[in-house]
Amino acid sequence: MSDQITFPDVVNWAVPFFIAAILIELLWIVLKGRGGRYETRDAVTSLILGAGSVASGVLLGFIAYGFFMALWAITPLDLGTSWWVIALCFVLDDLRYYWVHRFGHRIRWVWASHVNHHSSQHYNLTTALRQTWTGTFTFMMVVRAPLILLGFHPALVLFCGGLNLIYQFWIHTEAIGRMPRWFEAVMNTPSHHRVHHGRNPRYLDANYAGVFIIWDKMFGTFVPELDHEKPDYGLVHNLGTFNPIRVVFHEWVGILRDVIQPGLTWRERLMYCVAPPGWSHDASRDTSADIKRKHLAKHPSDRGSPGFTAPE
Amino acid sequence: MPLSILVPLVTVGILGIALLLHLLGLSRPVALSDESAARDAWLSEFPDDAPLRVLLSRNRMAALVETPKGRGVVWPMGADTTARYLTGARITRRAEGLRISLPDYTAPRIDLVLDEAETGVWAASEEQDA
Repeated sequence: MSDQITFPDVVNWAVPFFIAAILIELLWIVLKGRGGRYETRDAVTSLILGAGSVASGVLLGFIAYGFFMALWAITPLDLGTSWWVIALCFVLDDLRYYWVHRFGHRIRWVWASHVNHHSSQHYNLTTALRQTWTGTFTFMMVVRAPLILLGFHPALVLFCGGLNLIYQFWIHTEAIGRMPRWFEAVMNTPSHHRVHHGRNPRYLDANYAGVFIIWDKMFGTFVPELDHEKPDYGLVHNLGTFNPIRVVFHEWVGILRDVIQPGLTWRERLMYCVAPPGWSHDASRDTSADIKRKHLAKHPSDRGSPGFTAPE
Repeated sequence: MPLSILVPLVTVGILGIALLLHLLGLSRPVALSDESAARDAWLSEFPDDAPLRVLLSRNRMAALVETPKGRGVVWPMGADTTARYLTGARITRRAEGLRISLPDYTAPRIDLVLDEAETGVWAASEEQDA
């Protein structure tokens, strides 16, 4: 069984491309006067979160990699590294990404890690780099376990994950409208991902795809971007700080405060960790389902339209 | 990529982009054009609690909002806005206006630039909720 396979750390090698692409997008917006917005502190916060995410990978990456190598040691399967294995691994890891991402919006413990990616009210290429520092603590590495046990080497799986992340960089832009129809049908695009970042009731909990939008179409979470409803970016309750530490840890602090409040049952304390974001023991807050329901109460004609077809 | 290259690259990249954005004039906070803009900004955060009264600061950089559920404040977050209720707020007078300290990890401090006359009005109003 091959233990010494290495692949390039593609995300780090892509950093010069990220910087160049941000400068090109900014130049485009300034010269054309359209295609998105930039603001200094918002962009700097995003970039610091990106740098911190790389640093947390360096510091904590050994935990996930150790887990994967332990699985690799026990699996009798080894698919090798031929081109079709790499291609298959990329597709299956994208399916893995879809589910981890969906859990990231439906389980508060995972949302606590992912929320900072949605915390900007802007949508530009710096937003793509607004990545988590606390992903290790969500334990979502277990979702990759089947891939390792099926015989995909951990280094290959992480390589495909890196390619997936790089693909998602360019879709964080308003400078691109829509891609050709065939491309929009299969691939995740700026249009599809703008929907994912929208806080409009219609767009909540939609388009979890990484590379292939087909997963959302298969699993019933696809919502198209509507020309008459521009996405309103950010969180349901937007942050009142650009402090990167507060941005990164605010939902973890929220969970802690909720869990330790007096007078709760153990079930309620657990629900504050694992229920969908917005759940509360006294129903004083709104989940995305509540927000959609309230919207439909005010706008009944939207019932049955994209984003309001079926409760999750 | 070796850290000896990556770290300087990232550092220079962040500083360079920040400087460029600032020089392009993209650091200016948004101003609330009128009471209606302040009302919309509040409703964007709290759609179920429509303002009964809106008091816009003279520099249009903040608004005090009175709703059926209590008082709140709208203020700029860069090119956008956000809003919070004033429940549990601690109000401190500063030379430039008021500082609102909230028991909220996501919005711990709001510095309002107000002239002397409106500082008194705002402080009195906000302290009712503190």
